[in-house]
Amino acid sequence: MNFTDLLTPVLFGQILLDGLSVSSIYILIALGFTLLFGIMRVVNFAHGEFAMLGGFALYCLWGQFKLPFIVAVPLAGLVVAAGSLVLEQTVFRFFYQKMFQSMIGLLGLSTVMMYSAMILWGEQERQIPPAFTDTLEFGASLFGENLLLPVDRLVMFGISLTTLAAFYLLIMHTRIGLAMRAAAEDVEVAEAMGIRTRVVYRQAFAVAIFMTAIAGALYGQIYFLSFQMGDQPLLKAFIVVILGGMGSIPGAALGGLILGMGEVFLSTLFGPSVSNFVSFGGVIAILICRPWGLLGKPE
Amino acid sequence: MKPRSPPVLLLAGGLAGVLFLVLWPLAWRSDFILYIATLVLQFSIGACSLQLIIRTGHISLSHAAFAGIGGYASVLLVKSAGWPWHFALIGAILAPAAFAALIGPVLLRLSGKYFVLVTFLFGELMRFVATDWQGLTGGSNGIFEIPKPYPAMRDPLNYYWLSLGFSVVCVGLCVRIMRSEIGRAMDAMRESEKLTECAGVPAFRIKVLIFVIACGLAGVQGSLNAHMNNVITPGNFGPLESLNLVVMNVIGGMTNMGGALLGTVFLVALPELLRGYVEWQRVIYGVILIVVMAFLPGGLVELWGRLRGLVTGEAVRGTAVVTDET
Repeated sequence: MNFTDLLTPVLFGQILLDGLSVSSIYILIALGFTLLFGIMRVVNFAHGEFAMLGGFALYCLWGQFKLPFIVAVPLAGLVVAAGSLVLEQTVFRFFYQKMFQSMIGLLGLSTVMMYSAMILWGEQERQIPPAFTDTLEFGASLFGENLLLPVDRLVMFGISLTTLAAFYLLIMHTRIGLAMRAAAEDVEVAEAMGIRTRVVYRQAFAVAIFMTAIAGALYGQIYFLSFQMGDQPLLKAFIVVILGGMGSIPGAALGGLILGMGEVFLSTLFGPSVSNFVSFGGVIAILICRPWGLLGKPE
Repeated sequence: MKPRSPPVLLLAGGLAGVLFLVLWPLAWRSDFILYIATLVLQFSIGACSLQLIIRTGHISLSHAAFAGIGGYASVLLVKSAGWPWHFALIGAILAPAAFAALIGPVLLRLSGKYFVLVTFLFGELMRFVATDWQGLTGGSNGIFEIPKPYPAMRDPLNYYWLSLGFSVVCVGLCVRIMRSEIGRAMDAMRESEKLTECAGVPAFRIKVLIFVIACGLAGVQGSLNAHMNNVITPGNFGPLESLNLVVMNVIGGMTNMGGALLGTVFLVALPELLRGYVEWQRVIYGVILIVVMAFLPGGLVELWGRLRGLVTGEAVRGTAVVTDET
């Protein structure tokens, strides 16, 4: 097969658009993961389950209560983040700054959440109804053929981009963000400067879970919703964060972009199993040669 | 370093235990209990061999994947190539060991947390391979109608004795390694790798050697398990199964073969006895994991030490190998 024939400009543009919307979701999931690791030194193996909770929250708020979609998504994130503060108090608190214990303990939390969800909501897969069914067509003058852009994807992209921008503002331009960055740099010095790290931890946790839940809600709408859906977001977060460097925020953005684009390109051209193998193989190679990732710093 | 119990006592205790395990089914036979006991024996091979790796200071989340490689190798050699089982078993040991020898020198250079991450991903990758390579592995349905090793093994009692034999040999080998000079070097390496190397111990070579041996032993578990269940699927491969093996060691306090056996009994028997309530059993399992990791990182062994400390008034230091420095 000749790939230059296959890869027409239209297909290229189409892949670029799809890749961007997938990347933005990956970046959201990975940012939460990297935030928890960078500040609290916790490896959140239960990350996918928070994404699942976001999916179920959206299912309730948009699918059943019929709130407007634009309101329902952030509200789902808020509900999950607020509810998760209970878990922060009862579970996460004990694992802060204990990386190894956190890995195994939070794998335990992951099974607890997964099977509690199964007991609560049952085994069947659900579908979150699509918010918009229209498709935009444009770009005929540029490519000779129309690019197809589902409005659905556009709205999702908008939501995740807005969340990312809000996160950037919070981290870089508020006192809360400054305190978080200080705690990530050096906990003891931050405490000596009068930063109450317990409060910072709680805020960072809520922010991380908020982003994850929103990403999970969108993910659940694109694919499906079930108690087991957390596996995939966790793996994506893992790959992205290792690619970019554990604990590095720009790294999560870069890693998400690479993974999202790479996945869409490879699976369109060669099929999904090739794309899976390449992403896994790539990440294992990175871990071996440069374990601190593309933008992280070596210890 | 704690004093080791004299070999004579250990040997006598071990012999008495094995004798009891051989004879009890003759006195009282229940097929359900026999099935659970067989499973425990098989998993004890995985748990104890994993402990060898843990005691070099690395926690592997792909041990079940190596057991799976052994299982598939054994099944394919028997079903497709028509080998008798005892030859296939050699393949089931050599295949994961060869694979471990290939990737071990690369993976074992990574420090603690990165090793955990990379083995986690590796376990997932293995599961992908087993699911996608349909021509060889039968895809996600796996391979079924696997024959028993020998016709006589259709009797669960005989299969129990077979598993017991292999378990005694493999666990005995693990205990022997830990009590040898290499075992002492491993314990020293975990405390301080640089210092041990300065004393002339080839730390890295020992790590690789132990990794290869442990993965080979895991293959025995894979083969025994596959031929007992008559079926092997990629589900037996994943990181969650590997985590189960880690948890058996966690419960037993990580640095104690007896603890690992205790953990195996606990983690294999409990789910089987709670069969009717799969979800609840998983929830309880997770809660136990959280509580142990949060409050008792040294496992049940540490709990015992603390209780004794309360009585005798001695302060007991935790024995966790999983610290944040590694």
